[in-house]
Amino acid sequence: MPSSTSSSKSPALVHARVLLGICALLVLFFEIFADYLLKHDSETYGRVSQQYAEAVKVRPSRSGEPVSVLMVGNSLLMEGIDVDRLQELTSSKMRIYPIFLEATGYYDWLYGLERLFRQGARPQVVVLGVGVNSFLQDSVRQDYAPMMFFDVRDVLGVASDLKLDRTATTNLLLAHSSAFWDARSVIRTQVLRHAVPHCRELFALVKSKPALPPSSELELITLARIQTLRQLCDAHGAKLIILVPPTRSSEDAVRQMAIASQKVGVDSLVPIDPATLSEKFYQPDELHLNSEGAALFTSALATYLPGEIGEPKSASSHN
Amino acid sequence: MLFDSPAYFLFLIPVALVYWRLPHRAQNILLLLASYFFYGWWDWRFLALMIGSTTMDFLIAQKITAGRADSNRKKWFVLSLVLNFGILGVFKYFDFFTGSFSTALETLGIHHIPLPLIRVILPPGISFYTFQEVAYIVDVYKGRLEPAKSFLDYGLFISLFPHLIAGPIQRPGHLLPQVQKDRAFDADRFFDGLMLIFSGLVRKCVVADNCALLANAAFGGQFGPSNFWIVLIGTYAFAWQVYGDFSGYSDIARGSAQLLGFHFIVNFRQPYLSHRLQEFWRRWHISLSTWLRDYLYIPLGGSAGGRWKTSRNLLITMVLAGLWHGANWTFVVFGAIHGAVLAAERCLFPVKTKQKDAARTQHSAGVFSLWAQRILTFNLFCLSLAFFRAASLPAAVQFLAGLSHFAWRTEYASAFFMLCLFSIPLFVVDLLMEASNQEYPFANAPYAVRTALAAFALVILALFSGNNLNAFVYFQF
Repeated sequence: MPSSTSSSKSPALVHARVLLGICALLVLFFEIFADYLLKHDSETYGRVSQQYAEAVKVRPSRSGEPVSVLMVGNSLLMEGIDVDRLQELTSSKMRIYPIFLEATGYYDWLYGLERLFRQGARPQVVVLGVGVNSFLQDSVRQDYAPMMFFDVRDVLGVASDLKLDRTATTNLLLAHSSAFWDARSVIRTQVLRHAVPHCRELFALVKSKPALPPSSELELITLARIQTLRQLCDAHGAKLIILVPPTRSSEDAVRQMAIASQKVGVDSLVPIDPATLSEKFYQPDELHLNSEGAALFTSALATYLPGEIGEPKSASSHN
Repeated sequence: MLFDSPAYFLFLIPVALVYWRLPHRAQNILLLLASYFFYGWWDWRFLALMIGSTTMDFLIAQKITAGRADSNRKKWFVLSLVLNFGILGVFKYFDFFTGSFSTALETLGIHHIPLPLIRVILPPGISFYTFQEVAYIVDVYKGRLEPAKSFLDYGLFISLFPHLIAGPIQRPGHLLPQVQKDRAFDADRFFDGLMLIFSGLVRKCVVADNCALLANAAFGGQFGPSNFWIVLIGTYAFAWQVYGDFSGYSDIARGSAQLLGFHFIVNFRQPYLSHRLQEFWRRWHISLSTWLRDYLYIPLGGSAGGRWKTSRNLLITMVLAGLWHGANWTFVVFGAIHGAVLAAERCLFPVKTKQKDAARTQHSAGVFSLWAQRILTFNLFCLSLAFFRAASLPAAVQFLAGLSHFAWRTEYASAFFMLCLFSIPLFVVDLLMEASNQEYPFANAPYAVRTALAAFALVILALFSGNNLNAFVYFQF
């Protein structure tokens, strides 16, 4: 740098260079460290990447074999379904490939499913269950999802759909390509859990719950979204089923979602009417089912899901 | 482009590297183009508005100087004020006043009067660059400043990217000469600039964003219906959020400017150590409060006309200061509270004519009394923030009404712990800076120590800055 008041040997300039060098090294270290943490220490990353890898290999079953079902959703399904038990109860009729990632919604799975199909996944049935609020929210998960569910073109698609500004788009692109940027909120949460007593309970409380849009808009948005998902699944020979897990005081929203699905010609499955579930079946957040509620929901799902699947196209009718 | 986003640093680093290899005029051209790129990053359409507004004031200032007759100069001056405040009014306040008028009519029983709403998005930084343009026109009109001869210089003075979106509002007499003169690279100032950027990032990404989590939950109802503890958590957390947020933004702005050889005025001086609200406004958002003092309060008559006129002027100034923050009655009430308290303080504690008297009074008051006053002032500010933060007046009143209920939950203890975890370090830094009168912590420490501190700040940033939720609070103004 040119200088009229200081030479390149000025201690300030030397230390400025040292500082910028340290910054570059630290950024590199954080990137390697975050990548290591994700791959070796993160339960979520391990679980979802394994589920995703298996889902990519899903192919249509041959005639007489159990139907291949890709089941995707957020924590409502993760907490509400005992997948092993469900598989056991329905093993003769279907083979389930789950991918559950907490705090995901419509856009995570729209682009996540697109990518799965692009990578060769060919399930006969796609079951999507994220709850009404998450289905209607206009956002994507900022960690895990950009790295695990999206390609660059998906990130740009998400940014366009959500009308993100350029800064937010850049952040999402960075989360897609940098392990540290993707994992930094996870790192912060882990550090706070060690530093703040009862942090888990505090974070469960402060987490903002997505609000429902006005009912006039709710139907329009739901119709458009289910239609888009249906077209995506149809294009890849899969039947779409919208699974609506119960949450407290969600009867009206669940009903509206079911009606919207019917209008678009998509099967919706409400295995348990939320009105019939009392408080004792929910966790303290009144959103997720507890173990008792999960047992009930799993049984109900095992009863009704095979019926909804019906007779999907077998491998012979697919490419 | 947000200052705490990687995109900003991908922009700043190449600009700074190229900048110092250019001669003065080319530096200004580069900075003007970079600043327009920075602004257009949000929305190119608003760039046209800003360039139009800049051109208009540049030309009017020439007319004001060229016009010999006083009446001509005054006409151009008034035209500029009308246009500047007109643009601000249309984009920022039109829908607010139309909506309020409609509500007033409905209260009077007059329904279904069709009133036009323009529903336009607020152009980023419009409040800041408008105030800077008005200051320029006033200074030229009053003869305190020679108008800029080059549009390049004036355009850069208005749009220089470190201050463009959220200040600090730069005085023409301070920044314009820096734009016009050659700037020499000063390694010490460059290093200080880096330190200010690190300080700002920690304030914003660590303190503000983590406190925001608690403030959002308290004001958003996630903690349950309002009660004493929730009001405490909400207002304290928001106080540290807004302080960390805006002082952090100001530090990054000043640091970025210093990397380019400019000096910006200090915008915050440990405001939570103020012992009265009068002092608070001399320490908080200094560039705005001094602007309001010089271009509104003093022209209104200041404190020259006796107790009642002074109180009236304070009230008008602070209500307008409140309204400057946003088109909502909550901001008007926030300003009115501050105006009323400032007026009351004027009556109870008349301003000392000599600084020595003030210092003697403060010293004789004793440490306990001083801290009692500081705590009182801080809590008063926190209570007024309920209006600043709430979505509406009824929401603010409902929130504060919870003060008479004391239902306790164990999660509140965790919330207070988390609040202390992020606010106490900043408070300690403020105490250190107050004692040493430095522009950033450890500004006089050896370079090696400061380098180590900056590296430590980066580690803290990596561990605690994972909140994607909060844009800078002052971006909406």
